[in-house]
Amino acid sequence: MRYHYLSFLFLMLLISCTDRSYVYEVETLSIEPNNAEKDKEKTTEQYLNIVYANLFQTALSPNQLVDMTETITSIGDKQLAYETILAKLITDPSIAIPSNEEMRADLDLFISDTYKRFLVRLPSEAEKSWWKNYIKVRPNLTPDLVYFAFASSNEYYYY
Amino acid sequence: MTASATISMPYILPSGRLFARTGQAMASHVVLVIFGGGVRHQEAIGQRYLTSQNLEIEGNIMYNMLTGEAPDIKIVYGTDTADGQPGGNPINAVLNTTLQEQGTLFPEVRYSAGGTGHFGGLSTAVSGYYGLSQQGLQQRPLHPTIFEYLRRFGGYRATDTWFIGNGIGNSTPLLNHSIYQGFGADYGGNFFAPNVTFGQQGEDYLLGAKIFHPEEELDPIRQMQAFLNHNFLAEGKEIPNLKNTDEEKQSIKEFIKEVFERQATDQIARPPVMDNGDLSTISYATEVLRWFKPKLTVINMSAVDSCHASFTGYLQSLHRGDHAIGFLWKYIQTQIPEMAGNTTLLVMPEHGRNLDPNGILDENDWLSFDHDSDPNSRRIFTMMAGPNVPSNLVVGSENNPVGDAADIALTIADILGVKNEVINTGLMSGSARSLFDRI
Repeated sequence: MRYHYLSFLFLMLLISCTDRSYVYEVETLSIEPNNAEKDKEKTTEQYLNIVYANLFQTALSPNQLVDMTETITSIGDKQLAYETILAKLITDPSIAIPSNEEMRADLDLFISDTYKRFLVRLPSEAEKSWWKNYIKVRPNLTPDLVYFAFASSNEYYYY
Repeated sequence: MTASATISMPYILPSGRLFARTGQAMASHVVLVIFGGGVRHQEAIGQRYLTSQNLEIEGNIMYNMLTGEAPDIKIVYGTDTADGQPGGNPINAVLNTTLQEQGTLFPEVRYSAGGTGHFGGLSTAVSGYYGLSQQGLQQRPLHPTIFEYLRRFGGYRATDTWFIGNGIGNSTPLLNHSIYQGFGADYGGNFFAPNVTFGQQGEDYLLGAKIFHPEEELDPIRQMQAFLNHNFLAEGKEIPNLKNTDEEKQSIKEFIKEVFERQATDQIARPPVMDNGDLSTISYATEVLRWFKPKLTVINMSAVDSCHASFTGYLQSLHRGDHAIGFLWKYIQTQIPEMAGNTTLLVMPEHGRNLDPNGILDENDWLSFDHDSDPNSRRIFTMMAGPNVPSNLVVGSENNPVGDAADIALTIADILGVKNEVINTGLMSGSARSLFDRI
């Protein structure tokens, strides 16, 4: 009899334990702006700071920024001025850029990385498809030309 | 007997108009030198050298431009002599015949409205309009510039019109186009501040810039840019630009490259004396003329503004400005066959300087002069030479002023055949007239 009583109590104890423990975790979500939200022009200083950081993965020094800004100001056509400075920067051997082989070894990764690096967003499927096809059929197209196109695009000039 | 015929070919302007030019061009090219910095009338046209310093020494220190004998004592405006006398060696004349004799001089022109500040003067010169915004600096001209008028009504390309600035200060780089609706950057002139573009900053950040192969590299770049730009262009968002065509952009980039190369091998034409920024600016300007052969080139000088603190420096700069203009005119006539004989040269200070000194003494104990809109600072001159310009003619006098600072832009429009179109916009100051209509 005593054994049945203890078994009953144990059973009741099990049934009464209804509290559950919850573990909350944070899911990693990538939030990048889409291009339609970029409606502010970068100043010359902003453009230079950002393009330098994007190309070299290091910050532009204040003195360099002043000199580069003055150089841009000395040329009337800003688009041309930016392109010319950019064409100088990409000749610098210390530029952080994948090799042609690395680019072609994983085009998906290269395209995504390039969009994130320059346009701070991921490419759409249509964009990814266009780029993959464009690069594949042009064996002579090198990463520096792709970087040049991104850094001199209109979207890059806005934030 | 031979017969000649002119066939007019229609061309489509950016505005979509055909046959916009209704006037007859008087010359194929115009070069305007803004003798900037504020030229005091007494030492220039007046040839009174040191009389403002209570020294009865007169003379002409601008003998490439003006007719008159140079001072014969107290020479401080030249280069240093071998025995160390500062400025004691006058610079030899470049021209055998003065511009005054070659062309027409308006010795008493008036800067008739607004304050006599550099930006206001420059803005008036390039736009024919005196108005400025409240902010003044860091503001583009409110009304269209002559670059925009020429491109819109004359159908000229961006590289047909150039503004060569003495530097990047004083908002000078903003003078190549206005903010006026319907004109603006799309019709702006190209601009260089060559002492910066080709100076140390340019050497650091432009020299060695990659020139892309047109087909193998540039074409793919443009295709990739076009893809990237597609959405943005639909919303009208793009990097500000002057609508240089791809061909023009390539030409400008090659020009930059060539100037650096010519600079390294000392091939750039230099005035016989080149010891200040104005002379350097003029030297680079000859490169622009040689390469692009523009329809309009505006060159700004500024060194005479040293007169705020040094009358001696001012005299030296005045003398060098004249030297620069003489060199430039000779270079056009002897080194650029496409421009020789069909270029009109215009020279005008953007404003004058005060009658009374400011009290600052220089190394010779001579007094300095500012420019703060007193009647003397409104006295300027205009000079022109070239095809269809009467030679050896002086129009106006101290008691009979003829001409206005706002005239020069309309005069350029007149020379290049778009005067009526510009007048019909109603956007120039009411005082503006073509100088040819004032003769």
